[in-house]
Order: sequence, then C-alpha cells, then structure tokens
Amino acid sequence: MTDTLISLISIIVGIVGTNVFGLLYRKYNIGLIGNTIAGVFGSILFIKVFGRLGFDPVSIMKPRIFNAFLFVINMIVSLLGGVLLVVFIKKKGIK
Amino acid sequence: MEDMIFYDRLQFAFTITFHYIFPQLTMGLSLMIVYFKWKFLRNKIEKYNNAAKFFMKIFAVNFTMGVITGIPMEFQFGTNWAKFSELTGGIIGQTLAMEGTFSFFLESSFLALFIFGEKLMGQKLHFLTGFLVFLGSWGSGYFILATNAWMQHPVGYEILDNGTYVLENFSALFKNPWLLPTFLHNQMASLITSAFVVASIGAFYILRNKNKEYGKLFLKTGVVFGFTASVLVAFPTGDWNAKNVAKYQPASFAAMEGIFETEPKGAEIVLIGQPNMVEKKLDNKIAVPNILSFLTYQEWDRQILGMDKFKKEELPDNIPALYYAYHIMVGLGTIFIGIMGLSAFFLWRKKLYTIKPLLWGIMFLVPFPYIANLTGWYVAELGRQPYLVYGLLKTSDGISPTVSSGNTLFTLLGFVALYMLLGLLFLVLVGKTIHQGPKPQKH
Repeated sequence: MTDTLISLISIIVGIVGTNVFGLLYRKYNIGLIGNTIAGVFGSILFIKVFGRLGFDPVSIMKPRIFNAFLFVINMIVSLLGGVLLVVFIKKKGIK
Repeated sequence: MEDMIFYDRLQFAFTITFHYIFPQLTMGLSLMIVYFKWKFLRNKIEKYNNAAKFFMKIFAVNFTMGVITGIPMEFQFGTNWAKFSELTGGIIGQTLAMEGTFSFFLESSFLALFIFGEKLMGQKLHFLTGFLVFLGSWGSGYFILATNAWMQHPVGYEILDNGTYVLENFSALFKNPWLLPTFLHNQMASLITSAFVVASIGAFYILRNKNKEYGKLFLKTGVVFGFTASVLVAFPTGDWNAKNVAKYQPASFAAMEGIFETEPKGAEIVLIGQPNMVEKKLDNKIAVPNILSFLTYQEWDRQILGMDKFKKEELPDNIPALYYAYHIMVGLGTIFIGIMGLSAFFLWRKKLYTIKPLLWGIMFLVPFPYIANLTGWYVAELGRQPYLVYGLLKTSDGISPTVSSGNTLFTLLGFVALYMLLGLLFLVLVGKTIHQGPKPQKH
C-alpha cells in the first residue's frame, strides 16, 4: 500500500537533491525549472531501470514489512539519477 | 469493508483529481503551441516562435508534474485495486500499455527535442517535433479514454471460468460507441482550459503594461480558441455524450438530471434545485418543461425514466454529488460560452484590449475551466457507480481485500502533504516563467 507513497517520496528526493546540488555547485545550476525537470526524469529513469535489482517501491514494502535499508538505497539512487542527468545536460552543453 | 471501499475511493479520487490538473492543460496547450509555430513558419514573425517556446516551457512544467502525479496512480492499480487489476488486466492492460508505449514516449522524447533542438534541426523539423508532442499528448488522452470507455460501456470481452475478463475482439475496444464522443468532449474541455490560461496570461500582461505585444497575441489567440472550444464542448460533443448516457446508463442519466419521478409525457430540464434524498424530490426547483425530452430524443413528449423506475442497487450511490457535479459542469460551460462570446465580440470590434473589467474577468476565471473539467470527470465516475465495470463488476468486488482502511488513510495523508509541496513548487515554477515572459531570440 505504502509503495505508492514511496514512489512519490523517491521523485521528490530527486527534485530536492538536484536543486540542492545546483545550489552547491553553481556550474550545475540550470535554473529552478531545469534542475526540477532533470530531478524528476533522472530519478524516474534510474529507479525504473535499476530498481529491478531489488530496491523498487514494491520490494521495499515486501512482504508487508518496511525495509529501511532498501528505502535508503532507493533514495540515494533517485538522487543520483537527478544529479547525473544535470551533469549530463551541462557536459553535453544542451542548455 | 465499507470503510475500506470508502478510503480506497477517496484516495483514488484525491490523487486523480490532483493529477488531472496537469494533463488537461498540456493536451489543449500542445495544439495551441502547434498553432503558434505554424503561424511562425507561414509569416516568419518572430513573436509567434517566441510564443510557442514560452508556452512549451509552461507545458514542460505541467508535463513534469503530470508524470510525478501519474506514477502513484500506476501503483494504485496494484495496491488498492488488486482484484480489479487481476480480473480486468487482460483488457485494460492493453490500452494502458499502449498509452505508455506509443503516446507517453512519443510525447516525452519530442518534448525534449522541441525544447533543446531548435538550432540543431531547423524550423520545419522543429515544427514537426511540436506536432509530434501534440500527437503524443492527444494519443495519451485517447488510450486513457479507451480504457475508461470500456469501464463505462464494456465491449468485445469474454468472461473465463475463473471470472477474469479477456479480450475477444481487440478492435471493439476502439470502436466502442462510448469512446469517440467522450474523447472529443474531453479534448474540447482541455482546449478551454488552455485557452483560458493563454488568454489570462495575455490579460495579465496587458493590465500590468508588461510584454504588451505578447499580451495582445495571447489574449487574441486564447479568445479565438476559447470561444470555438466552448461552443464545441456543448454541441455537438456534450450533447452526444449526454445521449450516450441516456442510452447506455439510463439510471445515471436520471440521477444527474435530478429526475426522481417519471413524468408520463415529456421530461423537464432542471436549471436549479437541491436533491432531497429523504423525500425523493428536488427542493427549490426551477425547471423548464419538456426540454430534456427534446434535447435527448428531439421529441417534446418522449418519456424519460426517472429514478423511481430503477432498483436501489442500480442507482449511483451518491446522487447529490453526481447531480451537483453535473450541474456545476453545465453551468460553468454556459458561463464560458458567454464570457468568451463577449470577448470575441469585442475582439472583432477592436475594443477588447481596452475593456479592463473584461480583462480582469478573463484573468480571474482561470480556475473555473479546471473545476469544470474535474466535475465533468466526477460525473462520469460517480455516474458509473456502484460499478467499476458498468453492469459487470461492482466497486466493492474490485478492491484489494488485504489492505486495511488505516493503511490507506495513512498513505492518503502522506499524499496530501506531498502534493501540497508539489503544488507549491508548481506555482513557483509557473509563476517564475510567466514573470520572465517570452524572451525574444538572441541573434
């Protein structure tokens, strides 16, 4: 049940993390809108691709027990997804 | 059990309501962006290109929010509505998968190309990417509505011995008589939302004396699109939909129109009134005789069945909510025709940009197309009750039996908090974009 909530928290961590990263390293700041969009799509991409290794929202709640360790991994991967997408965008000089 | 159904429905209603704030704008806006880009290709006036790019930024923020709020919806099918997914997955899985594979990917890939690829591709290809974003966005709506149309009016299915539904005829899903009128009605309603947003940004710029050239362009375009869509949403698409409800869901039709008792000859149309569920009548009613029969069947004396002719279990379970949602939607639709008609008249008389009360009116009416769109969906969903799949699968038989109501309530509270945060972020992002305004291209 709480899987749904975890998926949302995961994306929000991606958004917040990418924006904080942009604030800490101005080089990777592509504006609030840019960092937010990168945070959303980067975190979704990473969780959809790598979450299957065992830390997707369904696995975190399985079997009806909240697995805090997997949850932390999920959040870190989500954050990494957003941050790496911003780095990719800047390196490629898209914006 | 009652508690479980209530909280599952409440959570779905809350999350889908919040989610639908975003796609209703992106679907309509994508068409207007294509229009701006097409105008630029034709007359090479830079402001049309800047307008297209400006609204694509707003589109991108909305699209992103739509994606964020759409992901929990996908999970809810499995978590809250496991039985429904298990029984009907063979059918609704087809259209939902097509939505993701064909439309969502098309939309998101070409959105990125539209935003970042103008210099790389040249103007004609840039227009094409905008058109493909529009195609993906409307395709998404089509497949989602194909899913909903099957739930409203199931066709082309077969029930196996274990109770699961499987597709017996794939093309029937897309030939469903419920689908086309609903799709067209929904898309016209989305266009109204986007037209009001575009016009209101234009009115804002004119009133603030800022970006006035763009203000006039946005207002003019918004009014033309808004007036056309406001008329089309009522007729023929709204009319076609109402006739479909009367034909396939007569009990819902009686409830949404507030017909408690069957009249022997000709049914009246209720303009105002409050359903009194104890005495089974409408209080303080203002009605026009025989109009409903004429609008539905083009016969003044044609009988329309009232709620008294149906068994209690055939009737929607929340008649007042259905009745009010329907009347709010229709009432707002009438106001939109009025305000957009008036604006179109003054636009034609070349006075629109100077009539401040009308500009303020357009600006402050922005939330109302959203309300009309949402109440329209409430009509469809409340009208289908007590079924998930009309006439076949009851809502109470579709929930996940092992998920407790406390669990759902906890998650719902989490959603409320997180969506408030997202809502704030959305307002900041859109506000910032509007404040910056369309930027002229640097040469």
